[in-house]
Amino acid sequence: MSQESILSPRKGAFGAYGGRYVSELLVPALNELEEARRTIVRSSAFKKEFRGMLRDWAGRPTALTYAPNFSKLCNLHVYLKREDLLHGGAHKTNNVVGQGILAKRMGKTRIIAETGAGQHGVATAMIGARMGFETVVYMGARDVERQAPNVKRMQLCGCTVVPVTTGSQTLKDAINEALRDWTANLGNTHYLLGTVCGPDPFPRLVRDFHRVIGKEARAQWAESVGDLPRAVVACVGGGSNALGIFKAFVKDAGVDLVGVEPGGHGLESGAHGATLLRGTPGLLHGARTSVLQDEFGQILEPHSVAAGLDYPGVGPEHAYLRDTGRARYTSVTDDEAIEAFEILARTEGIIPAFEPAHAFAYLMKAVALGDYEAGAKILVNCSGRGDKDLDTYRKLYGHRLAGAGAKMGPLS
Amino acid sequence: MSRANLAAAFAASNQHVSPFLVLGDPTPEISFQLAKAAIELGATMLEVGIAFGDPSADGLAIQRANLRAMNAKATTPVAFSIMKRIHAAFPTIPMNLLVYGNLVHAAGFERFAREAVESGASSLLVPDLMFEEGEELRAVCKTVGLGHAELVGPLSEPKRIRKLAAAVDAYLYLVAFQGVTGARTGAADSIRELVHRTASGVEVPVCVGFGLSTREQIAAVFEAGARVAVVGSYLATAIEAGVNAGPLGDGAQVLAKFRAAFAPLVGAVAQ
Repeated sequence: MSQESILSPRKGAFGAYGGRYVSELLVPALNELEEARRTIVRSSAFKKEFRGMLRDWAGRPTALTYAPNFSKLCNLHVYLKREDLLHGGAHKTNNVVGQGILAKRMGKTRIIAETGAGQHGVATAMIGARMGFETVVYMGARDVERQAPNVKRMQLCGCTVVPVTTGSQTLKDAINEALRDWTANLGNTHYLLGTVCGPDPFPRLVRDFHRVIGKEARAQWAESVGDLPRAVVACVGGGSNALGIFKAFVKDAGVDLVGVEPGGHGLESGAHGATLLRGTPGLLHGARTSVLQDEFGQILEPHSVAAGLDYPGVGPEHAYLRDTGRARYTSVTDDEAIEAFEILARTEGIIPAFEPAHAFAYLMKAVALGDYEAGAKILVNCSGRGDKDLDTYRKLYGHRLAGAGAKMGPLS
Repeated sequence: MSRANLAAAFAASNQHVSPFLVLGDPTPEISFQLAKAAIELGATMLEVGIAFGDPSADGLAIQRANLRAMNAKATTPVAFSIMKRIHAAFPTIPMNLLVYGNLVHAAGFERFAREAVESGASSLLVPDLMFEEGEELRAVCKTVGLGHAELVGPLSEPKRIRKLAAAVDAYLYLVAFQGVTGARTGAADSIRELVHRTASGVEVPVCVGFGLSTREQIAAVFEAGARVAVVGSYLATAIEAGVNAGPLGDGAQVLAKFRAAFAPLVGAVAQ
């Protein structure tokens, strides 16, 4: 019923995606940020401070870990880029360090952020504490309830957590609220957006702060494995961890780039967050991208067991990589992801977050699907650790532990 | 063509108080009655919006108005049907349509613009489509004869205001406060200064909105050179009070609260 709108983004375009679909009131702030990106971020002083802080405060480089037991199960050779070992427990820290230093150098005294699961909120609260910003994090009221431990972590770091009670009370509404705050306070405030979405220049800015993941992994791979990986695999919600690791391999035609989306209860159920597989072009949170929406353009509520993948949009560069065929996107269900979460913990002693568990779940079926020959060498981004998910796991899947108690032992 | 209504209205008067109504709030029927009441009270122009679930430029009062309309199933086609009814009853009253970009994008620019014209819209303003990204839509508006408006704000540079003013053929919409929509009290002096600075530099009519709630504020913006004063959040709050006053029924409570809020504001027009 809907017709295609002919539209070419002017600012920060990735093919037909990206751009700046925002109110005129935000234009001064975006111009200021773009100017800062071109001058401050490219300066050697900034780069030196960024590298230093990633090393000394965040704990880079993170390891590249071969997973021998999980590899056997998958009939592949699987290497994990260990972003779960980064300070804060996820790749998110790379971005907040970059934007924190940038905001400081722009003379901002206040940072605001949105958060869904709370991971980006926690990372923002940490950098806010470290760098002396007044920090405010918007979080959907439903998420505040679901992710209570992360709310406490943010508060511990001195951050104000504002529950958002409008709309569906989840991540998309938290972003709307952060945009409203920014519009009203753009003089002293930097909006520390947490993923490769939003109006230009955010998709490029956030992506570039995460490039370190792929750069490190590529060098570590060359040193300890040899040839390039057959594929680089990562989960995709907003898409920042995936772009961070993909970018170092985009020019290597022989390396598959695979993004794994949250299939939720299955793509046919409608309860999923598979924006690239099932979305249509739309304007959301300042960018033209692939969006889960109804025929009239109302944004749909996504579903994933992984709160960090529970977003109705996706970074515009992913939509571009999909259309050009350079990256391939697939999905796994909640149940498949949870099974992989359990298996990685049991076979490797690594408890991944629910988000990267989607990438592991895909690897468990990749050979059977015929996507890769047995024994292929695969690099996967283990983008975060699973501590934050234990409460949810016990609530939703605790019975599986009880059933497997004799074999697995109690959780606590 | 409905765009002519706007030119005729500006030729007839320099001062228009325009309510902003989310189409379908709180129901399609009562929404029509609200528009009718506003015009009967003296509104010479209407600003109407199509409900959107993610209205990121709006404050709480308008967000809730959007939500009420969505709960009443006021989709884009329903909104157009309400506009057609208003237009049939008041064929000379200009209706300026405010719609978030994704609703226009999803319908297809050209189809949306044509249907807007067929529904009696005089002009279109997309609050989340900044000027540089709006070229395609402006071209479509021109083709189908729909006026188009642009937003400017307190931080917009004079050069940029002139650039946007040169591109619009309906009016320039000045946001009186740097922030989201919402009724504010006081501040008449700073609004007057801002409106004067903006209106004196451009040829096109300037419409002022975002936060107007008193007769004094409206008188001040007219005095400073604005030709349209839009009242939105203040009226949305009145509608909400009516909705909360008891069972909706035929909307008598909603209409009463709305009339009580709007009538004194229309009196701000110099007779």
